[in-house]
Amino acid sequence: MTPPGFPNSNSGQDPGSLVYEEFSALVRRYGLTVPLPGAGPVSSPAAPVQTQATTILAFKFKGGVMMAGDRRATAGNLVVYDRADKVLEIDHYSLMAIAGVPATAWEMARMLEHSFQFYRRSQLQEMSLDGKVRALSKLLRDNFGFVMQGVGIVVPIFATYDLVANLPRLYFYDAMGAQFEAADYAVSGSGSPAVRSVLYYANTFGSRPLQRYNEEDALLLALRALDTAAESDTATGGVDRHGRVFPIVKIVNQTGIVTLPERILAKAYRRDLQSLPKHTPKFAELE
Amino acid sequence: MIEEPFRWVEAIQNRREYIEHQLAVGSPIACLSCPAGVLLLTVSRERQKIFEIYDRIAMGGIGHPGDIERLRMAAIEVTSAEGFGRSAQDVSLRRLASYSLSPLLKAAFEQIYGPPYLSRMLFVELGRRDEPDLFVRLDYDGAFHTNGGSFSKAVEPFAVISGKTHSSDMMEKFLRGKDFKKASLDQAFAIALDAWMVGHIALSDDAEILPSEEALAAHREEQLGFGSVEAALLDREARTNITYRSLTPSEVGALVPV
Repeated sequence: MTPPGFPNSNSGQDPGSLVYEEFSALVRRYGLTVPLPGAGPVSSPAAPVQTQATTILAFKFKGGVMMAGDRRATAGNLVVYDRADKVLEIDHYSLMAIAGVPATAWEMARMLEHSFQFYRRSQLQEMSLDGKVRALSKLLRDNFGFVMQGVGIVVPIFATYDLVANLPRLYFYDAMGAQFEAADYAVSGSGSPAVRSVLYYANTFGSRPLQRYNEEDALLLALRALDTAAESDTATGGVDRHGRVFPIVKIVNQTGIVTLPERILAKAYRRDLQSLPKHTPKFAELE
Repeated sequence: MIEEPFRWVEAIQNRREYIEHQLAVGSPIACLSCPAGVLLLTVSRERQKIFEIYDRIAMGGIGHPGDIERLRMAAIEVTSAEGFGRSAQDVSLRRLASYSLSPLLKAAFEQIYGPPYLSRMLFVELGRRDEPDLFVRLDYDGAFHTNGGSFSKAVEPFAVISGKTHSSDMMEKFLRGKDFKKASLDQAFAIALDAWMVGHIALSDDAEILPSEEALAAHREEQLGFGSVEAALLDREARTNITYRSLTPSEVGALVPV
């Protein structure tokens, strides 16, 4: 018999609750996730054709970090969806852009969003920036067993505003979860070589570095970079002016996150085309 | 001996008296609906008493800090798991109170060899669209009361908890006499602060008559010398899904009537 005043099995007290429990552990305890396979030999001889999302970019400009992604999701040479949202809001100051398998990536984003909120609510303090950046790294590493089996690869970009140092921050990752802080820009996805080249060129040989771009110029560069990627990469949607499918473009800075509305993107793109010389093929798109 | 039924009833009665005695000094918490959202307010000396639970749910608690903490964590855990496993739309205060917390509290209270929860809680949920805000008062024995809205009882746009029944009765009496349907946040804050004063006076005064404006002002001046106002808002106009925000010390400073 347990004497009164001592915890017993009916008191609801769990000795494990003395330490902070990660949200991911809670989710497992409640049985809300599929158990992850360990890294091991490939179990299926040919991995199924997976839906993939591409191309994303982010760079620092005068007004914070601009993050953009096209809207196309593909599986092999099929277009699965032309209105995918690859730039996701994780909290008031954090954005995550996803390239790779959306089934995994959207779940990661949801997990990230819930773990930041769970931490804030339970611990009564905001998770530190380092903690947030590492949390994504950990999710990627937990997913690596899947990646080794040929399914569910995700290579994201993470942007946030550092309220302590008063600076925008930008990170990119590899599929194993290594995190790298980007000085100026970061890219990912199948169209990323083209986008990276455009950003490098603009930053290095342009009239001024990207960090001194205003919002209008930054938007124009983001749209042009995605358009350039779409020119050679069929998995990148680019800008579909006639179908009115524009990339998702978001900005994060000290005031939080702003999503640029479609009409702003449409206007900027149209103005850009109009500024081109009349004989160019892009100008003809206006017709 | 404890196996005999009447001894069990006696043990429960002793336990109830003990808990009521422990809670009797608890500082009141007032909570009311206004167009800006739902305001939760108390005056505290040292520790935090108002907390965020989920996107649209907040709570205030009086009692033992350890027990409040365990119940707070249980509430956050259950709502977070539901919000992640299904969706944020599926998280509801009604379900949290009646299926998760109430049975837990009742079991702990009636298992007389285990410790009960020394706490009295007030949960609030910001209504979606045109639905009224929901207030749930949850006691240490698992009993809970809402602000009506079912059967024949009209919905009341407020709820309070306090250490003594007389105190919460007086606060309710005070708030029933006030009209804050269209009140601004400033006005709602002033009414909630007065309600707290009414409740705090009633903790040590059995009078059935509400204190005068002057008495409230005098008590306010005295009490705010010892402690400070803690307030939070479930914001109806929140830009994101997260509606909870605690009022900053400078906001509170500007809202306290001089």
